Amino acid sequence: MTQHAITLDVDGERYELAVEARRLLSDVLRDLGRTGVHVGCEHGVCGACTVQVDGAPMRACLLFAVQLEGQAIRTVAALGDNGGLDGLQQAFHDVHGLQCGFCTPGLLMTLDALLRERAELDEATIREVVSGHLCRCTGYDNIVEAVQLALRRRAKAA
Amino acid sequence: MSEPRAVGRALPRTEDRRFLLGQGRYLDDITIPGALEVCFVRSPHAHAEIRAIDTAAARALPGVVAVITGADLAGEITTLRMAPAITGVRPTEIAPLPSDKVRFVGDPVACVIACDRYVAEDAAELVEVDYVPLPAIASMAGAAAEDAALVDATVPHNLVAEESFSAGDPEGAFRRAAQVVEARFVQHRQTHLPIETRGIACVFDPGREHLTVHTGNQAPHPLRTALAARLGLSESQITVISPDVGGGFGQKIALLREELVVAALARRLGRPVRWREDRLENLLASLHAREETVTVQAAVDGLGRLLGLRARIEADMGAYCFFPANYMMRVVGMILPGPYRLRDYAFDLRVHLTNKCPAGPMRAPMAITSWVMEGTMDAIARALDADPVEIRRRNLLEDADLPYVTATGERYHSISSRGTMEAALDGLDYVAFRAAQAERRDRGELVGLGICNVVESTTYGSAFYKAAGIPGSGHETATVKVEPSGACSVAVGLMTSGQGYETTLAQAAAEGLGVDPGAVRVLIGNTDIAPYGMGARGSRGAAAGGGAAYLAGRRLQEKVLAIAAHLLNRNSSDGLALEAGHVMQRAGGGLQPSGLTLADIARVAFLDPLGLPDGMEPGLHVTTSYDPPPMTYSNSTHLCAIAVDRVTGMVRIERYLAAHDSGTVINPLVVEGQLHGAIAMGLSGALFEELVYDDQGQMLSGSLADYLIATATELPAIELIEHARPDAMTPLGIKGMAEGGVMGSIGAVCNAVADALAPLGICIDSQPLTPARLSALIAAAKRA
Repeated sequence: MTQHAITLDVDGERYELAVEARRLLSDVLRDLGRTGVHVGCEHGVCGACTVQVDGAPMRACLLFAVQLEGQAIRTVAALGDNGGLDGLQQAFHDVHGLQCGFCTPGLLMTLDALLRERAELDEATIREVVSGHLCRCTGYDNIVEAVQLALRRRAKAA
Repeated sequence: MSEPRAVGRALPRTEDRRFLLGQGRYLDDITIPGALEVCFVRSPHAHAEIRAIDTAAARALPGVVAVITGADLAGEITTLRMAPAITGVRPTEIAPLPSDKVRFVGDPVACVIACDRYVAEDAAELVEVDYVPLPAIASMAGAAAEDAALVDATVPHNLVAEESFSAGDPEGAFRRAAQVVEARFVQHRQTHLPIETRGIACVFDPGREHLTVHTGNQAPHPLRTALAARLGLSESQITVISPDVGGGFGQKIALLREELVVAALARRLGRPVRWREDRLENLLASLHAREETVTVQAAVDGLGRLLGLRARIEADMGAYCFFPANYMMRVVGMILPGPYRLRDYAFDLRVHLTNKCPAGPMRAPMAITSWVMEGTMDAIARALDADPVEIRRRNLLEDADLPYVTATGERYHSISSRGTMEAALDGLDYVAFRAAQAERRDRGELVGLGICNVVESTTYGSAFYKAAGIPGSGHETATVKVEPSGACSVAVGLMTSGQGYETTLAQAAAEGLGVDPGAVRVLIGNTDIAPYGMGARGSRGAAAGGGAAYLAGRRLQEKVLAIAAHLLNRNSSDGLALEAGHVMQRAGGGLQPSGLTLADIARVAFLDPLGLPDGMEPGLHVTTSYDPPPMTYSNSTHLCAIAVDRVTGMVRIERYLAAHDSGTVINPLVVEGQLHGAIAMGLSGALFEELVYDDQGQMLSGSLADYLIATATELPAIELIEHARPDAMTPLGIKGMAEGGVMGSIGAVCNAVADALAPLGICIDSQPLTPARLSALIAAAKRA
């Protein structure tokens, strides 16, 4: 199959790659060592593969890598605070917002983008946003609580 | 004994950090250089003879290494013979891959091995299978029909298990009854749906003749035993390494065919081979669950007191038996009476083969029992025009009844069902709820409350298996070690798939040993490191695994203190204790530091063994096995308050409360999470999830756009009330829990919808309660 030369910007690093047109962004990112991009359904429903493209959360399994030329891709590897947990991750830890952890990176990428835009969120809005992700372990309550805790802590620190 | 210090603390989990940083190591994250990838060719027919398989075109595709069919594997893998010595269970066999006929849509018939998954999928499309379709059995009724086609030629009438049980005098009870209440409960086909699908990666080292297997599995040692038997290897020639597991829920326990074939291929080809199931395969052909129907007749007196019960239990096993066919339904029959006083009880069970995906245990395989008993209580209340709570109060076992041996011989010694029910009703304010419900009904709203009392059989001891005639053991083993530096570890054969064992087993071992939980490293998921374990099934992790870890720690503490007594020139270790790694000695009214630490003791035990008491073995390690009582129970009461939209049929959950007695809790945060998750799974299954087959046996739910699971907007905030009573029989009083939430939520939400729709004359006897179904029922009731 024909290989296409592309340049990808992943977590601030530039990669010159040759990929087949059909190769999914999720697979290419995993090949680049971004194994936090989890593949759960490959049809855009579960949300485990969510990354940010130019700041917006997107399903990496619904994109071909060749479509991403020149756009800034951010994965869960770019989150964190100097190797430690950032505010949102810490809140997930503190309130038991994860169990098996497979859906967690995708959720973090969606919620990180949301928290960059919004300083206050009511529970219904948080649930609406979280509803774009499937989690089979937690029942979502503690995920919602983690977002609320992260917001409260950020407001207090400001 | 001093107060527990490690157990009972709501410690955030130690495993979280790597998951939050995207540094988990799930199966696909393990790099194996040169690994080939596999794609299975699957049957498009529910039932068909395989006349020929042409693999030439697939083999010719560049990048394809081999294409394998069942015939190729016959000499390398033995068939799975499922023939438990149980009356009424038909023996069955499963070939590695079928070569005579396919039995369900998704049945694997060939396997392509290629340089990568994209090429393997291309080649799989080129495999030509010549099928001759056969009549398909798509339902239990179809399976039982006269002249039905046989799913398995060796199983007459497609009836793979049947059993009858009777205790006491059911006939007499029905003769004495003031009234006989009948009810029917039809549960639909669902699946586990771990967000990480199944997979395996195998490396065979021909020089050492050793097979290394990476696979997310809840029971690595039993999996190794099964692999060795099927591949003709010794168990010591196989290492099973279970990496981080993205959810299991029972789907990742048994050795299924795909994993077995991949392991055989790694040996045959002498190259690493890996396979990861895609979501379509997971929905179509992994394991399904829960398709069961129970009908009951309850004999009651004039006050609604249960005099006798007859149950008829039927289950759809699908096309193959990866588990003894009677296993799950027998447990359903045995525990059905739950928390209610019942002496005269009989059940019949029948398990059918159909041309559908094989069934396996899914989180709370006995879940239907709570819905059946609680739905029966509601049916009694409706028949007598009585309050459903009052009917339950008349029938519930009270503290004064304990210990209580049930009609099926189960022994309850520490349940507290009346306590959890009253706590839950108080939490809701039951009287106020009924008053508000009446007002809202007058305004035309469809409002209902469902009540569900649960007795969860959490931990099966060996005695239970023996009594049930099921091969297996309930024991678990732990090794607690201290290294020369004083570093501590506990190794257990259980494997976690999100339950937090890396935190809770550390707490249990630390409690026994007398160190801080953070000082204990948990070693799980490697059959070469951990002692043989029976695996994470049911809710046995806390009582069996935690019990073993605690007891091993305590025994090691005894050795540590014996050494300390010797070093302190004391006659015995009486009056000594290990706390947070410091040897304490009784002085005055309390404990004072002796100056010795665990590290000091470890240094002597390893590096100065002549300084040990005479005759003592050097080193610091203890391996202990613990076999729990025949059965351990936790209990809970679930209340679900809902409103049904008259037009859309959508169920809105307005409040959800659960009062639970989980005994001594190792980590309250983890227990809360397990309750949330179990309740969510039950609600999701009862309200939305359904694997639909058409009458030709075609599966219509092949994507997550068809198989709907509940999201954050459909699920409620869950209110929990703790009502703990430590178990009288287990170490520390641990009861275990993790499945009761599924049982409770299915019963509670079904009963709530039944309550809401009762004024319209609608009877809810089947799930799922989807908006489409409920709106159709409401529309039909209006027309009537």
